[in-house]
Parts: sequence; structure tokens; C-alpha cells
Amino acid sequence: MTSTAHERATIAALAGFADMTTARLRSLRSGRTADEAYALAAGMVEPTAALSHEFRRSPRLQDRWRRSAASITPSSMAARCGDSGIEVVLPDDPHFPTPLHGDPRRPEVLFVRGSLDSLDARRVGIVGTRNPTRRGAQTAARFGHELAAAGVCIVSGLALGVDGAAHRGALAVEGARPVAVVANGLDQPYPRRHADLWAEIAERGALLSEWPPGVIPEPYRFPQRNRILAALSELVVVIESRERGGSLITAHEAAERGIDVFAVPGSIDQRSSAGTNALLEVGAAPASSSDTLLVALGLDHRRARRTAFDSRPRPHGVEADALERCTIRPQSVESLSMELSLDLAGAAMTLARLERSGWVAESGGWFEPVDEYARFV
Amino acid sequence: MFASVPAAMLFGARGHPVAVEVHVGKGMPGFHVVGLPDESVREARDRVRAAVMSSGATWPDTKITVNLAPSQERKSGSGLDLAIAVGVLAASEQVPLDSLATLAFLGEVGLDGSIRSIPGVAPMAGVLRELDLVVPVGNASEAWVVASRRVHPVGHLRDLIAVLGHDAPWPEHDGPPAPVIDPPGPDLADVVGQPMARTALEIAAAGRHHLLFVGPPGSGKTMLAARLVSILPELSPDASLEVTMVHSAAGLALPPSGLVVRPPYRAPHHTSSEVSMVGGGSHSLRPGEASLAHHGVLFLDELPEFASRVMDTLRQPLEDGAVRVSRAALHTTIPARFQLVAAMNPCPCGEGNAPGECECGDARVRKYIGRVSGPLLDRFDLRVGVERPTVDHLLGSERGESSVAVALRVAAARARADQRQGCVNADLSSIELDRHAPLDAGALAVLRFELEKGRLSARGYHRIRRVARTIADLGPAVVDSIDEATVSLALEMRSSVRRHATADGRVA
Repeated sequence: MTSTAHERATIAALAGFADMTTARLRSLRSGRTADEAYALAAGMVEPTAALSHEFRRSPRLQDRWRRSAASITPSSMAARCGDSGIEVVLPDDPHFPTPLHGDPRRPEVLFVRGSLDSLDARRVGIVGTRNPTRRGAQTAARFGHELAAAGVCIVSGLALGVDGAAHRGALAVEGARPVAVVANGLDQPYPRRHADLWAEIAERGALLSEWPPGVIPEPYRFPQRNRILAALSELVVVIESRERGGSLITAHEAAERGIDVFAVPGSIDQRSSAGTNALLEVGAAPASSSDTLLVALGLDHRRARRTAFDSRPRPHGVEADALERCTIRPQSVESLSMELSLDLAGAAMTLARLERSGWVAESGGWFEPVDEYARFV
Repeated sequence: MFASVPAAMLFGARGHPVAVEVHVGKGMPGFHVVGLPDESVREARDRVRAAVMSSGATWPDTKITVNLAPSQERKSGSGLDLAIAVGVLAASEQVPLDSLATLAFLGEVGLDGSIRSIPGVAPMAGVLRELDLVVPVGNASEAWVVASRRVHPVGHLRDLIAVLGHDAPWPEHDGPPAPVIDPPGPDLADVVGQPMARTALEIAAAGRHHLLFVGPPGSGKTMLAARLVSILPELSPDASLEVTMVHSAAGLALPPSGLVVRPPYRAPHHTSSEVSMVGGGSHSLRPGEASLAHHGVLFLDELPEFASRVMDTLRQPLEDGAVRVSRAALHTTIPARFQLVAAMNPCPCGEGNAPGECECGDARVRKYIGRVSGPLLDRFDLRVGVERPTVDHLLGSERGESSVAVALRVAAARARADQRQGCVNADLSSIELDRHAPLDAGALAVLRFELEKGRLSARGYHRIRRVARTIADLGPAVVDSIDEATVSLALEMRSSVRRHATADGRVA
């Protein structure tokens, strides 16, 4: 069964109504044709009992939908999608992603740029905080890169921080087809700093959204996006997360669906690992390398380890000690001087030398180790 | 009859001599003040009349004209009351004219004839050096400090009339009080741990570098800043006098000895207005916080919360060491050579600089730090991160090094700088830097790397070298050239503002 162009345009328009949510769209849709659902929301027919109840609960909703109906027609929406190269996919369509079919909160419509075939590969969701440590961002890039090199499709949310690093790491692999699930219309790149990533993923993999062009990324849409991200993944790995955050919602959504959740362990007294360590405590599996994930997917991980030549001069003596401390946790001049019993000037000089030889990078007075994935951060 | 009485008025932090000319002659009874008096001077009429009558003298029932010379300048304040009262008494022949010779009069009178303290006696006394001074008792000590001739503190107009009428000697007074040792302020020993911040304070004190603390709430930024004055050297006699003048002009309570000898510490609230910061007001041009911190420390807590206009007004005194205030008809300069110390959170959530600790996105952090204008941020030679003290430090019984011990090193470093170049390191020009702070090969390599990476601007380069010079001066031995470790530390002492958050990504 395949939906008609008119059906697709009508549901797309409906999804673009003000304050539309997945749940509202589903109840409008249930057992109705696309036209009936549209007429109901636009106020062209008497509201059903359930809908009147909804209107009473949100007093201005009826009014807003009426106004939306006046400005968003199926034909204008179809034109808008066409202009931005956005494809509308309904659950009835054959290429609607299979993992979403049986989902308890299945999206009623998907907007796609790029090719949904990208999802035919093995899929791993990589998520994490928007403000990672350098180590976190590098780990995300490393996992993205190594998994993509093993032919895995990286699913992520295109957010700043971990998401972006994972995507960049993956895109550096020739032929990689990563998938990004975003929370706004596909006509506007968000976050804007990832406009280049956005375009490249649309070109090589697929950009997915539950919402039509013109929908802005309001805060409540992100948790909803996370459920699709989780549902599309065969397993989800959380790279870094503080005690609360969107990546924990994704992990939760994944666990609810029986999808394995992995977390990268971190130091117990670093706030940046509070969320991932909490996940490990409630039963997530630890992932210290991408091999763990490949094994979990049943893929052969015994490939030849490519050992990249590291041109950086190996640090010796106190510099080696300092680098080791930086690897355990970010260090400032003060903390390093206390750990290694150096005077402040000595600690500053040691760190500055490590930075000049490319082993650590500094931001705001804190030094973190640099590895070969730093260029994706 | 006519009498001319020397007095002075205050303008900014300077005194200006004023001759109070009083004419009592025939005509309709009345009292006229000419010579551009403002409302507060004009009100002197009522105070003076009541005071004269309360003191047992008579108020002449004729035409009284008071001229305040020079007559082109605006006069304000109540400090001319006493001179007007004496003028009226002399012109109406109630005190002999000759008894006024060599005397100047400063003070406000009350309706009961008492003579009250006024702000600015020190700078006013400074311009009346050829005369003996009659001053309110409350202002005696500052007058003693400044005056070069005799000072007569008098508490009541009645007593003054008696002295001037040769009926009594000058009232007895203790004379200048012996200098008192100020009670020690907060001590550095209270600061536990925080080696980086303590070192930064020491460097700031030794080189007179402007200092910015960046750290989460509760990390002790305010506590640290308040202790800077405890390790600064005492004011030189000249500086001491300048500070006393400004504080007196602002009506600030002076120490019992009348002379401010410790560097002042001023910490205006972030709601302060431009006028309260740099001084001004309509007529008297009161000194602002920047001037009250002259030769001392101006501490701005929560720097980004200050209005940007207020921050910008500080740039001119930071450059010139003085505030130029201009009003329609008046302008003056008030000294304001202060050391700027400021504190701010690293980001709006305040959680800290450490990677992964903070929830704020880059854009929010950039906006927050952007509230402090780039040029002002650039003035800070030292921008140091402060972390919350660790539990071990807090619970430990170990106290930090005391202010006295640190002050000794600071004084030694200042002496070295003074001997070498005759100024503090923060005031070294780039040419002098080449001569007095040459870099060795290692240090040069460090700075070359930073410059080539674009992380250091030309101006930043000189600032780093000044700080490095101070760090070297604080060391145990005299060193001529700056080495790699010293310059590395100087660089680190400027790194606490996140690179991606500054406008151009430079340490500058």
C-alpha cells in the first residue's frame, strides 16, 4: 500500500499546525482519512467528543488551528517541501523505516532529506551532552569513525558537542551514510553552527524529522525527537552526560524499547560523567571502545588495527606524568602542581610544553589530552 | 564698614581660595550674597544670622552685602558659613578687624552657634598655607596634617568671638594626635589552599597589575580581593597626602591621625551609577569611587553585572590616572590612580570553567562574558581562575601564609623594580621592557608559539612580559632575563577566560 501525494500533503500540512504534537496528530488520524483529519482540525466539521475535550483543556488551541488551516494548506505545504527537497513519508509507504512500524509512539509522518536506504545498514545511536569535555568529544568522534569504518550507520541528533563530533567522525569515512534525527523543520539548519554537517548528512545519508518545514526547534520537541533516534538504533551509546540531560532521555527511550544501552565510563568525581556512570549503575553496559559495540552487533571485530603513525614527540619524565594526569581528568596549573608537587611556574611550563608538542589543548585554564580525533571536535 | 575674610571652597578634590567680603552699610535691612553662590551658600544667611544671635552678638539691622571673590566661579556648600559670620561681626565692629589678620576660617555654623565639620578641610587647608586656620574641632586632625602654620580648632562661635575680641586665649587642644597603627585588616592567612589565586594576588601587589578573578560562587574571589590591600606597601608620604585630600573632599571618615597611610580599598556595588563611580554631581563635583580608590584598590564584584556605561567610564581614569569631570561651566581633574581588581563567574550558571562542568552553551557564555567590554577585559594583566577549595583544604587545620610574610616579598619585589626602572612593572613601556625584561631563548620560543598561533596580540605580548618581570622579581634571587617557566606562568595567569568565549578567540 502506498499513500497518495494528496494524502502526504494533507498530513504534512496538518503536522505543521500550531502546537501540533505527536499525540494530537495520532488521535486526529485514528481511523480517519487524511482529508477527514484535516477537516476536523481545521474546524470545518463539528469536533468529536475527544477533540472538544482537548480544546477545553487548551483553550486557545481551536483558534490557533483555525488560523493555521487558513495559512497552511496541503498544496502550499507540498510546494514548500518540494522547494526544500524534502520528501514526506507516511507509515503506509513501503520505505517508512521498519523499526518505527511497531513503535508504541510511532510518528504519523516523517520528513526526509537524503535517502532512507541509509537505515538498511546496522545502526548505532551515539548521543551525549552539548558541552562535553575534549575527551568526550574525541571519544564520540572516534566511535563514530570506527563504527562507520565497520559499515555501521551512525544515528545521532546533530546537536552541538557529542552528536556533532560523532557525525563528523563518521563522515570522515568514505561511503559512510549517517542518519540525523532533528527536532525542527528540515528547511532551517539547527544548530546553525552545524549547517555544514546538516548539508553533508542530507547529501550522503539522511536527515529525518517528524515536523514539516517552518517548525522551529522548541524545547519540548527535543525529547520527542529522542524517542525516534532511540527507536531507529539497534543499540545506543551515551558518550558523556551530566546528571540530567537529553541523552539520558534517549537512553531511557531505548531501554523501554528493549534496545541495549551502552555508556562510556568516566571518573566518579567528574560531573561530566555523572549521567553515564548513573546509567552503568542501573544496568547499562560499559563501552570502553568501539569494539565492544561491534561485538554487541555481532560484527567481527578482529580486523587489523590500523596503527596511525603519531608524529608527536613522545613526552618524557615529568611531562609524561603530566600527560597521564591530564588523561585521568582535565588539569589546571594549580591542580597539576598539587598532584605532582611542582611549583606553579614548573607546572605551567610542563603543560605549556605538552601543548606546544600537541599532546594537550587548553581552554579556560584547563588542559585536556588531544588524540587523532581532535580534528573532528 | 567692610571686612574681607579668607576662606576656601572645594571643587572636585581641590581647594580654591575664596575671599569673603562683607559690607555692612546704610540701606534697607537685608542680606545679599553675590559672587555666584548656589542655593546651599545662599542659605548661609539664615544659619549665620541665628548663630550670631545665639552667640550673644547682635545682627546688624542694616544692609549687608556679601561678595564671594573671585566672583566668576560658582560657590557651593556650607563651608563658607564661618567666614561669613566672622565677616559680618567684623564689618559691624563687634570684633576688631586687626584680630583677623593672618587667619582663615573654614566651617559650617549651626543655629546654636556651634561650628560643625565640613568635607574637604584637607584640600582647602592646602591652598591656605600662608595663614593660620580656624577649623571645626572634627576637622582638626586633617588640617594639622596639611597646614604649614598654626591650626585653631574651635567648637563654638561664642568662643571664637571671645578670642577675636582679645577676651580669651585660643581654646586648648591636644595638638596633632600621635600616629596610630591601623587595626590590621583581613589577613591572607584566612585563605586556605588556592595557591594559584594567592600567587596572583602577590604578583598583582608587587607589579601593581590589574587583576580579574574568574570562578564559581563560593570560590572565595571576594575574600581574596579584600586581602590585596593587606599585602600592599604603605603609601609614600606624597601619596598619603593625596589620598587624604581626596577622602577629605568626599567627606569620608579619616583615621584618627588625620592621614590615610594604608592603601584604600573600595568595593562599590554593581548597581553603582556613572557619577558614583567616577565622580561628578551638579556643583561640587564630588569624587567618585575611582578617586576614593586613588593609590589603592578598586574592587568590582560581579563585573558583568555592572552597567556597561559604568564600566566604560573607568577606561579613561585607567589610562590617565585621573578623572576629568566637566560640567557646563566647570571642569576639574580628580586623581584616580587605582589598581583594578574584579571578580566574575565563568559563565551564567556559575558552575565553572572546568571542562564538562557547566551547562551553558557557548553562545550563552560568550554573551555573558561579552557584557564586559573587550577594552576593559584587556586591561587585566592577570585573569586567574579560582576553584572552590577542596574538602581536604577546608577541613584541614592548616592556615595559609600570613599577609605579613607575603607583604615582605612584595616590598622586596617593588624595591627591585624601583631600583631598576623607577616605576612599578605594570607601568613599563614596551621599550623599557626590552631593556629591563629581556627574554631568554626558551621564553622567546613560548611567546613565538603563542603569537604564531594567533592566540596572543601585540598588546597581550607586552602584558605577559610585564607580568613575567614581576614573577621574576618575586623570586629569591635577582634575575636579569626572563626564562621559560616564568613566561609560562605569566601566560597561564591570563588564561581563565575561555578562549572560545572571547570575541576574537584571542588571549590578547
